[in-house]
Amino acid sequence: MTVPRFATPNVRRATPRTLMLLLLTALVAVSLVSLLIGAGSVGPGRALALLSGAQDSEARFIVWELRAPRTLIGIVVGMALGVAGALLQAVARNPLAEPGLLGVSAGAAFAVALALVLGASAATLRISVAQLGALVGCVCVLSVARFRGVGNDPVRLVLAGAAFSGLLASLTSLILLYDQRAADEIRFWVIGSLAGRRLDDLLAVLPSMLVASVMVALIARPLAALALGERVASGLGHHPNLIRWLVIACVALLVGAATAIAGPIAFVGLVVPFVARAFAGPDIRRTLWFCLPIGPLIVLAADIISRVVVAPSELPLGVLTALCGAPVLIAVVRARRLPML
Amino acid sequence: MPFSPEDQFRADGNNNVPPPQGYWRFAWRSGNGANSLLFEQRAVVVNLGLFGALLLASVIYLSLGSVKVAPTAVLQALFGNADIMASFVVQELRLPRLAAAASTGAAFALAGILMQTLARNRLATPGIIGIDNGATAFAVASIVGLGVSIAPPAMALAGATTAAVLTFGLAAGNGTQGYRFIVAGIGVGAVFGAITQLMLARVAIDTANAAYPWTVGSLSARPSGALQLLMLGLVLGLATAMALARSLTLLRFKDATASGLGVNVKRRRLEVLLLSVALTGLAVAVAGPVGMVGLIGPEIARSLASSRSVPVLAATLAGALVMVLADLAGRTLLAPIEIPVGIVTAVVGGPWLLWILMRPQRSFT
Repeated sequence: MTVPRFATPNVRRATPRTLMLLLLTALVAVSLVSLLIGAGSVGPGRALALLSGAQDSEARFIVWELRAPRTLIGIVVGMALGVAGALLQAVARNPLAEPGLLGVSAGAAFAVALALVLGASAATLRISVAQLGALVGCVCVLSVARFRGVGNDPVRLVLAGAAFSGLLASLTSLILLYDQRAADEIRFWVIGSLAGRRLDDLLAVLPSMLVASVMVALIARPLAALALGERVASGLGHHPNLIRWLVIACVALLVGAATAIAGPIAFVGLVVPFVARAFAGPDIRRTLWFCLPIGPLIVLAADIISRVVVAPSELPLGVLTALCGAPVLIAVVRARRLPML
Repeated sequence: MPFSPEDQFRADGNNNVPPPQGYWRFAWRSGNGANSLLFEQRAVVVNLGLFGALLLASVIYLSLGSVKVAPTAVLQALFGNADIMASFVVQELRLPRLAAAASTGAAFALAGILMQTLARNRLATPGIIGIDNGATAFAVASIVGLGVSIAPPAMALAGATTAAVLTFGLAAGNGTQGYRFIVAGIGVGAVFGAITQLMLARVAIDTANAAYPWTVGSLSARPSGALQLLMLGLVLGLATAMALARSLTLLRFKDATASGLGVNVKRRRLEVLLLSVALTGLAVAVAGPVGMVGLIGPEIARSLASSRSVPVLAATLAGALVMVLADLAGRTLLAPIEIPVGIVTAVVGGPWLLWILMRPQRSFT
């Protein structure tokens, strides 16, 4: 079994820019495909005709009102989850630290379910609540990681995360059983999907996404220094603890926002940085750049497949990402030497 | 007190030599010579205590619910002389479910302790390394009627075997000790969980709703016939496990030590693995994946029993007790809403698992 090696770029030095261009082209292509293909009656032919100027009100509605927002949301969610995964892995120094696996998404989902039971209903409230839940989940898991050396063993952290997210998922389903109204409101949200999301949802999370991107831009350099070790980072004038807290806040903002739109989606934060590192090498700054096209690529591809395989109905996106992500998890664990970040 | 085989020889025929400390010895003469059996005192006390607790919990289980039956009336109803209402509720409604709870709990816990001993890894329970999910995926395939119409127990057995082959195959070369094996198992479990979701998404919504409680672990929807098969399997499995108990004790050591003490390690491993996988498959066919019991039962048994041997019987009893109590809580806490037993055990078992992980490490098993 060949596993892409970490931290040793097989790619020649000069190629990242070309690679980036290739990835961006692929992203544009996949976005187009996402506009063209769907579970319903409007096939690629009709959609293509519409895009080249034909008058077709049904196709217009489906392509521009349903598929276009969905594609945009997929792009944003993919970026957010990919970048959040890369950040979390860098700060936990653990290639398996993934927001979904470690229970950050489960924390967000639990917080939303709890808020709904306690009487909240407004869709706008959902975002801040999800971000708060993600923050709590993040802090919990990372404090477990620092506790008695659990975090020194990457794999042990995953196990703790699995236990934690399993617990939160059970509590969420307990709440849903208890409160029928809440269950009806979030039943389709809690499994993770891009279907039926409106553009308003996207606009509502945009401010926090912007804040998060500014923060990422600011902490990318200190984070790269932190990869050399805490002492080196302090010697270079950075504050390791401050960086860690900023990263945690960032991850919570990104994962909370993504979960608020699309529901908990696991494994994207594992696969995207995994691929990005294979392209970009050990530098976290370059990895973060590569996460930006790769995240949307993977999410959109999974979303397209989820529309097609069980047509005319649709598959939850989370199912597909788990099917693609679990083999990557196994491959990382099976590598002879566990890659350390 | 020093104790050697010679002591036992000399003890033949007379009871003058005291048994080793902490043991009771029963010696008797039969036609072909003198025999004796050693019972560990602590194990006897623990097993009797757990059995008593299980009986008590069963009576409470039968008496509580939407219709309350007084404990004395429960006993009367069991032995056939109570009013018709009470005996209907107890015998027809609650007794089958109690039997399902106790036998699935026992099977999960027995499978758990066997797998832990086999892998020398106390986290390697079938639920954690993906075997439950494999069995569930296959059984759901047969429930939602995809192609094959084989009965759920057979499909669950096939699924458990597939998942076990995958997990152990992926671990080949790395060994089963340590956390990598576990995470590979979590990955396998995630794949099968996704496949289950996939199948539920493909079928009509009411079929999916009918299968849903079962996929989180519930005793309210038991496929017919599965329980009888499970009880048969449990009796056979428990007898086999008790017969293997001595070599299980030795399997905890290194392979070299175990084979030096006369255990055919490879063969015994395979037998134990098959037993554990079969028990898991049969239990999943009845109740769905309630894997946490496979972790909690052995943990309770190990904390009560001494570490001289593998507490097979105590783990089985503790698993049955946990499952009966969990289902009792699920039925009564939020009544009239019924909490699936899988959720109750996950809520209790999750923190327990975290605590095991965060405790300073000691030797496994």
